[in-house]
Order: sequence, then structure tokens, then C-alpha cells
Amino acid sequence: MSRIVILGAGIAGHVAASHLRRKLPKEHEVVVVSPNSNYQWIPSNIWVGIGRMKPKDILFPLAPLYAKKHIDYKQAKAISFYPEGDAEEVKPYVLAEYVAGANKGTTEKVMYDYLINATGPKLNFEATEGLSPGKNKTHSVCTYTHADEAWNALNDLIQQMKQGKKAKILIGTGHPKATCQGAAFEYILNVEQELRRHKVRDMAQITWISNEYHLGDFGMDGMLMSYGSNIMKSSEMVEMIFEDRGISWILGAGVNKIEDGVAQYETLEGDYKTESYDFAMLIPSFSGHGFKAYNKGGEDITNKLFKGFMIVDADYTPKPYEEWSVQDWPETYQNPSYPNIFAPGIAFAPPHGISKPRQSKNGTDITPAPPRTGMPSGITAKLVADNIIEMIKHSNNELHHKGSMGNMGAACIASAGFGMTKGSGVSITTYPIVPDYNKYPDTQGRKLGKTFGTIGLAGHWLKLALHHAFIYKAKMKPFWWLIPE
Amino acid sequence: MTRRISKYKRFLMMNPIIQFFKFIYLSIKIMIVVAGGHGGTREIN
Ligand SMILES: Cc1cc2nc3c(=O)[nH]c(=O)nc-3n(C[C@H](O)[C@H](O)[C@H](O)COP(=O)(O)OP(=O)(O)OC[C@H]3O[C@@H](n4cnc5c(N)ncnc54)[C@H](O)[C@@H]3O)c2cc1C
Repeated sequence: MSRIVILGAGIAGHVAASHLRRKLPKEHEVVVVSPNSNYQWIPSNIWVGIGRMKPKDILFPLAPLYAKKHIDYKQAKAISFYPEGDAEEVKPYVLAEYVAGANKGTTEKVMYDYLINATGPKLNFEATEGLSPGKNKTHSVCTYTHADEAWNALNDLIQQMKQGKKAKILIGTGHPKATCQGAAFEYILNVEQELRRHKVRDMAQITWISNEYHLGDFGMDGMLMSYGSNIMKSSEMVEMIFEDRGISWILGAGVNKIEDGVAQYETLEGDYKTESYDFAMLIPSFSGHGFKAYNKGGEDITNKLFKGFMIVDADYTPKPYEEWSVQDWPETYQNPSYPNIFAPGIAFAPPHGISKPRQSKNGTDITPAPPRTGMPSGITAKLVADNIIEMIKHSNNELHHKGSMGNMGAACIASAGFGMTKGSGVSITTYPIVPDYNKYPDTQGRKLGKTFGTIGLAGHWLKLALHHAFIYKAKMKPFWWLIPE
Repeated sequence: MTRRISKYKRFLMMNPIIQFFKFIYLSIKIMIVVAGGHGGTREIN
């Protein structure tokens, strides 16, 4: 009998738990440790942030589902890792603290044979002075509670605009090394459309602020893509959309301080500037959770497991941008020191960025961190689950399932406005996610055709269809496994 | 605001009938990209 413990019940953790439970006989235990009692379909937070969906539309409680599916669930948060056990415990374990229920505040040693760390990112608002959801007129859409608060604030502003107030709206990244530009991009287009729907668009000045060097970089070094019968750069596509929607932009901006209605930022030229606003949605930097790890003797071995995020089978040798290659990116998400520990989704430490690193004249890094979107999070979680299943069934340590972001495609359907007839979406697929400049030297590291973009109403329908399909899948309803990650 | 998308293009983008077929096309195309598989990079190269 084996015990597999999964930390986190986000996209990666939940995908891993559901596949393990479906494929492993009942004698093996699948345990999920996660502090949030609900599963949330994060991509639809954008629509909560414009009031077109309620938090209840994008979440469901985990405990009843896990009870029904024989997945053991602990509403707790991992604190520290003991991959060799300790003086008393032979088995490896994770120390977890319950966050709800009768055991709230108590800790438990959660023993495991295999551990999947799928704790995603810490939303590191503290890294930017004054950036905190709901304070200083800044908001976030990274969780459903943040998104709901963002909508309340935006709605208040819309009501004031209806009374004649002119408003400034600022949306983008809130840290020089933030990632997740895609989410901010979706949000700015949705906000713009909502202002038109409320007939107050002419009262607002909308500005995109980002640490990207070019528009459409998205932390992926931009893309060269097929667009209809043309070949277009993602920067050209985003510029076309922003100009068409009357959105202005500030690029190469490292936001470093927020005051009430004012964002302070440094530019790549080394200038310090400010931008005022009445409503802002700024994505914070993402960081690891600051977990500690100890060996059997109680010595600190955090650096064997973590490098901010968890260390996996990537090549972490520091090297210049020109020498980065797809081979640096992990394939199995296994920790090299402890082969029974894996980290899919956002929880793994990337070897380096994807976008070309840039520094301001003052030496500040102003570069998007590499994104890990929902699709690769799901795919990497599934392959980790499949490898663990084979390790259990064949009692060996060979890993046959591999999935590097340098050999994986991703679809990003960015909502550009909500509505069955008035909605829009920017549908982009990329292959591979991490550009392979050796394989595709003439097309900026990506395969044209498989890397394409298109804009229109169908994109909105697709995003809505994916919302329903992925919630159906997450609820593990009949034949859920037929829906791909 | 600068008009960057022509009236004709906008019509194509927002016409529900055209977009219905685009929806089917996109669903298949995305399936091909995603279900097209994934793998390592180290052995291939
Ligand atoms: C607003 C927004 C919109 C997005 N839109 C898209 C989109 O359209 N398409 C797309 O592909 N991607 C999108 N993404 C990205 C996508 O949401 C992420 O790629 C995905 O959520 C990553 O999954 P994950 O499981 O690694 O992390 P998460 O989903 O963040 O899950 C982490 C889990 O770990 C738990 N956890 C945290 N700390 C602990 C701890 N100490 N112990 C145990 N558990 C812990 C959390 O509660 C959570 O359950 C969007 C992201 C945002 C913020």
C-alpha cells in the first residue's frame, strides 16, 4: 500500500488527485492537504472582477467531492518538509497546520510515500510597498474574493462616472518581475467593454502598465504567429487591439510603490515616474511560500528542496540569455535529491525566464517572470500522477512520462469582453510554450500554424465553453477524464 | 481611439453565424495543438 500526499488543490493538485484516484486501486491512499475549502476555476475570476459572474459560479466545495471519491482531505496548510523523517519518524512527512474545523491551529505530521507539491505561487503583495488588494484604490483578480472586491470598487466608480466624474483606470503588473500579464490583459479588455456597456467609456482614460519590453510579450518573449493568412507579431496584434479600444500603454515599467491612487515606477531608462488612478488592478509578484526543509538530524536542508519554488529536474546553471535552451526546462518535475517528491504547475522553480532579461540604468531587473498557465499546470500534474502510478505498480523508479514546456503546446483564450452576442475573445495557441530557437530559427522559436491568434465572438464562446467543461471535469462527473487538460 | 479594425473585419468578428463555424474550427484546432502530445526535449536533441 502506498500513500500519496498532494499539497494544494488548485489546477495542478486537483488534476493529480483525481487521476491518481481514478487509476490507483483503493488500497492506495490519496491525501490532499489544502487550506482553501473550495476549488476555484481561476481563469473565470476575470468575469467575477467585472460583475458578470458571481464567486459561486466559479467554485465548489472540495470536502463533499473528496469524501465521495475516497480522497482523504485535510483543510490545512503545509509548513515544513521532512523528506527523511526525523529522530522519531522513519517515514518522510510534511508538517501541516489545520486552518479550519475542530483541529484549527493544531499541527499534524502527514506521512507519505510520494509527495506532490502543487502549492502554486504565493501572491507576494508585500514585495511592492503599499500594494494590497482593496487598499490605496488597487485591486487584484487573483482569487475570487479579490475579484469580487475589485468589482465592487469598479462598480462604485462606474456609478460616479454616470454622475459625471472623469476617471483614470490603470491595469497591469504591480512589480518589476511580475508574471501573469495574460490575466491583466484579459481584465483591461473586459473593463473597457463593461464601461461601454454602462455608457461611460468616454468618461474614462484606461492605461496598461507593464514590465514587458514589448506589448504582447506575456512573459513568453512575445510570439510570431499566424493571423489569418498573415504572419503577425503578438506585439502588433496587441497594439492593434489597444489602439482600437483606446487604451494607452506604459511599457518597461517596474512598479515599486503604491500610494493612495498613485503608482510609482522605474523605467528601463532609469527614470522614476508616477501614474495616478481612480481604480487599479495590478498583478503582484509571485513567489515561493517560504517553506523550510529539515533532514533526519534536524538540520536545515531547505536549499536541497527549494530555490524560491521547488527544485526539480531543470538545469539551474546560471547562463546568459543567448545560451538559454529548451533543454534547461524540466521534463518530469521530480526533485533530484528526493525522487519521491514532485512539483508540477506553478510550484516548480523555473531554470530562468523566457523573456529576454532587461535591467534599468539603475540596475533594477524589469522583466516578466515566466508564466505557467492552466494548461501546462494540468498537463504536468497528470504526467507526475502517471509516473507515480507506474512507480507504484512496477516498483521501479523509471519515469516514462515526460512533458517539457519546450515540447508542449498551450492554448490561451483571453476574454476580451463578456456577452453571448457582444462578447469577444483573443484566442492564441503557442507551440512550444518555451521557444525552441534551434528547431524553429526563422519563426522566433515557435511553429507557425500551431502558434496562431484570432479575435472574435467565437473566442468568448470558447472561453465560456472551457469554463463549463473544466468545472464539469473538476467535479469529476461521468467521463470527466475524456476532457483533456 | 484609433480605428484599427475595419468595419468589414469587425462584421466578420462579431457575426454569430460566421463565428459559429469559427467556434467549431477553433475547438478542433485547439484540440490538435493540445492533444498533439508533449514530451521531453533532451533525448530528441
Ligand atoms: C486572474 C487569473 C486568470 C488566469 N487566466 C488563465 C487562463 O485564462 N488560462 C490559463 O491557462 N491560465 C490562466 N491563469 C493561470 C492559472 O490560473 C494558473 O496557471 C494555475 O492556477 C496554476 O495552477 P497551480 O495548481 O499550480 O496553482 P494554484 O491554482 O494557485 O493552486 C495552488 C493551490 O495550493 C494551495 N496552497 C497554497 N499554499 C499552500 C500550503 N502552504 N499548503 C498546502 N496547499 C497550499 C492553494 O490553496 C491552492 O489550492 C490565470 C491566473 C489568474 C490569476
